[in-house]
Amino acid sequence: MNKSFTPWPATVPVLIAGGGPVGMTLAALLARHGIASLVIEADDGYCAGSRAICMSRRSQEILGWVGADQALVDKGLSWVGGRSYFRDREVLHFQMPSEPTQRYAPMVNIQQFYAEEFAHKAAMAQGGLADVRWSSKVIAVRPQADGAQVDIEAADGTHTVQADWVVACDGGRSTVREQLGLQLEGTQYEGKYVIVDVVQKTQRAVERLAWFDPPSNPGSTILMHRQPDDVWRIDYQIRDDEDPIEAVKPENVLPRVQSHLSMIGENEPWEPLWISIYNAKCLTLPSYRHGRVLFAGDAGHLVPIFGVRGLNSGLDDAGNLAWKLALVQKGQAADSLLDSYSSERVQATRENIAYGAKSTEFMAPPNYGFKLLREAALRLCTENPALNSLVNPRQSTPVEYLNSPLNLSAQEAAFKAGARAGMPAPEALLRAGNAPSHLSSHFGAGFVALYFARQPGLPAALQALATPEVAGPAALKVLCIASRGQADAHTLIDELGQAHERYDAAEGTVYLVRPDGYVMGRWREATAADLQAALRPLTGQSCVAA
Amino acid sequence: MTEPQLDQTYTALAEATARVGEAKAPLFLATLSLALMTRQTDAAEALALIAQAERLANT
Repeated sequence: MNKSFTPWPATVPVLIAGGGPVGMTLAALLARHGIASLVIEADDGYCAGSRAICMSRRSQEILGWVGADQALVDKGLSWVGGRSYFRDREVLHFQMPSEPTQRYAPMVNIQQFYAEEFAHKAAMAQGGLADVRWSSKVIAVRPQADGAQVDIEAADGTHTVQADWVVACDGGRSTVREQLGLQLEGTQYEGKYVIVDVVQKTQRAVERLAWFDPPSNPGSTILMHRQPDDVWRIDYQIRDDEDPIEAVKPENVLPRVQSHLSMIGENEPWEPLWISIYNAKCLTLPSYRHGRVLFAGDAGHLVPIFGVRGLNSGLDDAGNLAWKLALVQKGQAADSLLDSYSSERVQATRENIAYGAKSTEFMAPPNYGFKLLREAALRLCTENPALNSLVNPRQSTPVEYLNSPLNLSAQEAAFKAGARAGMPAPEALLRAGNAPSHLSSHFGAGFVALYFARQPGLPAALQALATPEVAGPAALKVLCIASRGQADAHTLIDELGQAHERYDAAEGTVYLVRPDGYVMGRWREATAADLQAALRPLTGQSCVAA
Repeated sequence: MTEPQLDQTYTALAEATARVGEAKAPLFLATLSLALMTRQTDAAEALALIAQAERLANT
């Protein structure tokens, strides 16, 4: 069989090791910012099996920046709450914050291979800037002062590529991390969970379901999540004395699954798709930047599965990194900007690990003390609602970047509420023309300055800072958020008052929002010079005032 | 107590229980119960909590 191979480039701006959901999303984000990348993926296609399944609201927003959100929402199953059971009765029914004016559901369940497919297609739709090579493996990385040499083993032989930047998105057993001689640091929990995907039709609503010590599997903890294509994801804990190799054999798995499905009244025919085993890990590199080599996703950190912050934090890494790497690669920002990627995202990981540890201590109690307290909490919680927060699984929330070097003190002291620098810019439902418009849909490209007013109208000096002719993350959009009046190209109407409330906004309040939707600084009265000074170190350009 | 504070105290209690170990746990928990009970202003409520805990311990 004749196979023609695409030639390999000798040099690339960014080499992304690993074409999983984080690598593909990063490639799509970089391409949108005008940066070419070469993605090296060892498999010959999207992942198989049961991996990440819960996509948070923030992840949906990030995929929205590259146009992959609609496919995700159309295919995925949204959910807003769940139930926990102790033995034979329900002890908790929780709902996550959600209301009809939100743009996305708090969580969407979808198989990881769909997330990869949608991110890949988004990358391919960005004008050829993302070059994805399947069945190709990074086998060596040689870091240099101004880049790295990477050896790749592909079907057509071994190739060496010179990259300005290498981003390791190659997962828990990262080759890039191994090549640099780096180790993840932290702890692991002993408790092991078997995960099983089965196909079975159901009438049940889509909710996160958890059973503690159910009659179907006494002494165990069982989680169930619904996925598209009539799939259940089932996680159950095995005893400390069970052999993990035996535990994943179908003859040991299927009867336990059958017992539980029968107990909960799911009697449609079913068949297994996938079985594997894991234990919760709390591990991270101390830094995600090593010269010209950066780490994102599982290559940099592993967090416990409970609390669903694994893939979600990986996508958040990509969202934080892409705009910074683009500005640095274009020579508009000093490469020290990438140190803020590491410090912000390492801080996020530590927070995610702390939350994940709390979840794990409840879902897989690591010692006698946690086991005993859980026995008490599960019995008491239906009679003492103050305990609900302990039984409630902790869900993914966007992290605040405390003490980030990018946070501006600006006029922070003049505010009593709203989002500080380093917090995500709050969502609000506004009106643009005659149609509703979510404020978050205006983030994710370049910088955005929000000017709050009772009536439409931007001060000329601020309006003149806008750079509609600039593409990529250096661009500045200036928007008026007016309480009432006519919307136009630069004005959104805050009819419901959500934006003014959530931003603690008075007449003339200005927020500067980063390309990743995070607040950089806020003022009660901002001059053009204030905004220019804030942007200059990042975008290199002098915004010309009228 | 806020939820983070409840997290913190629950964790401290679980870890202390693990440290004292199974044999000493009843003594530890009894000591703690007395300390917390003396901070309970309402005797009727304390008696109700005792009854509740006894009932739940038998489930």
